[in-house]
Amino acid sequence: MRKKLIIVTMILFGAVFLSACAGGAVRGTSWPGLAADGQTAYLADGSFIYAVDVSNGTELWRYPGSRNGKLTFYSTPAITPDGLVIVGSAGTDHSLIALNPADISPDTKAPVEAWKFSGAKDHWVAAPLVLNNKLFAVNSDGNLYILDLQDGQSVKEATVVKLNGRLWAQPTTDGERVYVTSLDHSVFAVNAETYDVVWHKDLGGAVPGSAVLDADGMLYVGSLASKLEKFDPATGNHQSVLDAENWIWSTPSLDGDTLYFGDVDGNFYSFNTSSGKLNWKPVKPDGPITASPLIENDHVLLATESGSIFAVGNDGKVLWTEEIGGKIYTTPVAAGDLTIVAPLETDFYLAALDANGRQVWTFTPKN
Amino acid sequence: MSPWEYFISIFVNVLLWIYDVVGHNFGLAIILFTILIRIVTWPLNAQQMKGAAAMQDLQNDKDWQAIQKKYAKDREKLAQEQMRVYREKGINPFGSCLPTLIQFPIIIALYQSIIRALASTPLDLLKLSRTISLPNVSDLIPLNSHFLWMDLGRPESVPFLGFAIPTLAVIVALTTYVQAKLTMPATTTPGDQSAAMSGMMSIYMPLLLGYFALTFASGLSIYFITSNILGIVQYAMRGKANWRSLIPGGLKNK
Repeated sequence: MRKKLIIVTMILFGAVFLSACAGGAVRGTSWPGLAADGQTAYLADGSFIYAVDVSNGTELWRYPGSRNGKLTFYSTPAITPDGLVIVGSAGTDHSLIALNPADISPDTKAPVEAWKFSGAKDHWVAAPLVLNNKLFAVNSDGNLYILDLQDGQSVKEATVVKLNGRLWAQPTTDGERVYVTSLDHSVFAVNAETYDVVWHKDLGGAVPGSAVLDADGMLYVGSLASKLEKFDPATGNHQSVLDAENWIWSTPSLDGDTLYFGDVDGNFYSFNTSSGKLNWKPVKPDGPITASPLIENDHVLLATESGSIFAVGNDGKVLWTEEIGGKIYTTPVAAGDLTIVAPLETDFYLAALDANGRQVWTFTPKN
Repeated sequence: MSPWEYFISIFVNVLLWIYDVVGHNFGLAIILFTILIRIVTWPLNAQQMKGAAAMQDLQNDKDWQAIQKKYAKDREKLAQEQMRVYREKGINPFGSCLPTLIQFPIIIALYQSIIRALASTPLDLLKLSRTISLPNVSDLIPLNSHFLWMDLGRPESVPFLGFAIPTLAVIVALTTYVQAKLTMPATTTPGDQSAAMSGMMSIYMPLLLGYFALTFASGLSIYFITSNILGIVQYAMRGKANWRSLIPGGLKNK
């Protein structure tokens, strides 16, 4: 009897331990997605999308109304001009869902689905791009899905452009072409009207961040080959303009002719696109950087994995530091006068900072 | 880094090194890695085979059979006498099943290594970057998760007539059953606890591993199947494989 008990206990232990490794619709599967307009912050974190009142940090609604084991969210929500909040699921249900915050269901207390696209084969990581009433949405299945937003019904008939690799970054556009980066080391340019692939280039390293266009229309892309590449957007001709110390994960942020970005060694760079040189020697705050810098009026806000926010002046000097706690991988967003931060491994899900870095409120979901 | 994390990082690095060597084929890397694990755990497997063979030999021992008959109605005394015989003959009754159970940490580590190596989320990919000690990391990642018809990071099934058939889970359960049955001691005595325990393992283990294969990443199923086939081949090569035990009632007819 004792032997049987030992065997059954070992088997159960193994099953539970292995099950625990599998993950599920819980916090921490990946870092959360965050977007905001002037009044509301939208947080995609685990099983729910939370809408939070920016003025006081209270929850306005959550979607779905109750936990759905098939849905997991960590892609950055996109807010359309007509107020829809579009977010993709990284759960077993690979749907892209458009929520209408103006229409809250009295039963579920959640916004109703304006439409739902279920044609993708894998999970959604990137926010979709809205361009001319069309939605350009990239999925981990390697496809670019183009949905017509004019008619809520027609989104079921998406145009599919087969690219390659896992597509984790929001597409970028200059109106003429849509630029898509891929973990298969590629950058693709797709004609925004005909949806033909205009060019496709290999960077020698995965590209988890988006491309960014400067004022002269040149395209910049950072990669896990630890290089910043400059592209001619018409031809795809490119050259490396900077060797970083380690992987460039985040999308560089453009301020005038300056690109700000970090690497996973924790170096923070300020690159002048006109001169092709660094404005100052990279500063190294306190931890790896995966979030894009947030451009403010006279400084740049920088989030680190060590759970801190740094305000860095245009001259590279650190103006102030605020220790949020946990780990910050998500790009902070501006909402009115506040900066909203979404850390991992903290009791709270959001923190709002004022212009001097003081915490105004934190948000912790109830239940 | 915790000892467990260190353990995982060794697995991941070896897996990725093999993946690089074999031309970026993760399925092949898992198969070769399993062979490597089988070589490393050879002493354990040898102990398992030795224990199973000793238990089989014991069934034909006259003293053993006499004890079974004599104390057939006194289970407590029977157990005491069995333990005495085990001690006298230097047999560990757990010798054949303990190495199987020791596989659990390896299975868990391998599962975590597969999931970490395939890095299906941004956080996983970032964690992977901290785990790898190989020089050409940016060339290697992301890993190609496709092998034959499978996505190794996801549970496998083959659509057939509108149903999703979990072929790998079935193969895992079958090969585990065959491996367990081959090592099952032949018994001629009713109430033999060790034989009953082995019999129980031959039922529970296929069900459990089949469930794992059904639920978890198919890369883990590749490990199970490869490991089971290697185990069967090892037994067959020793000439100790008990093929009759695969036939219902085959042992009783011996």
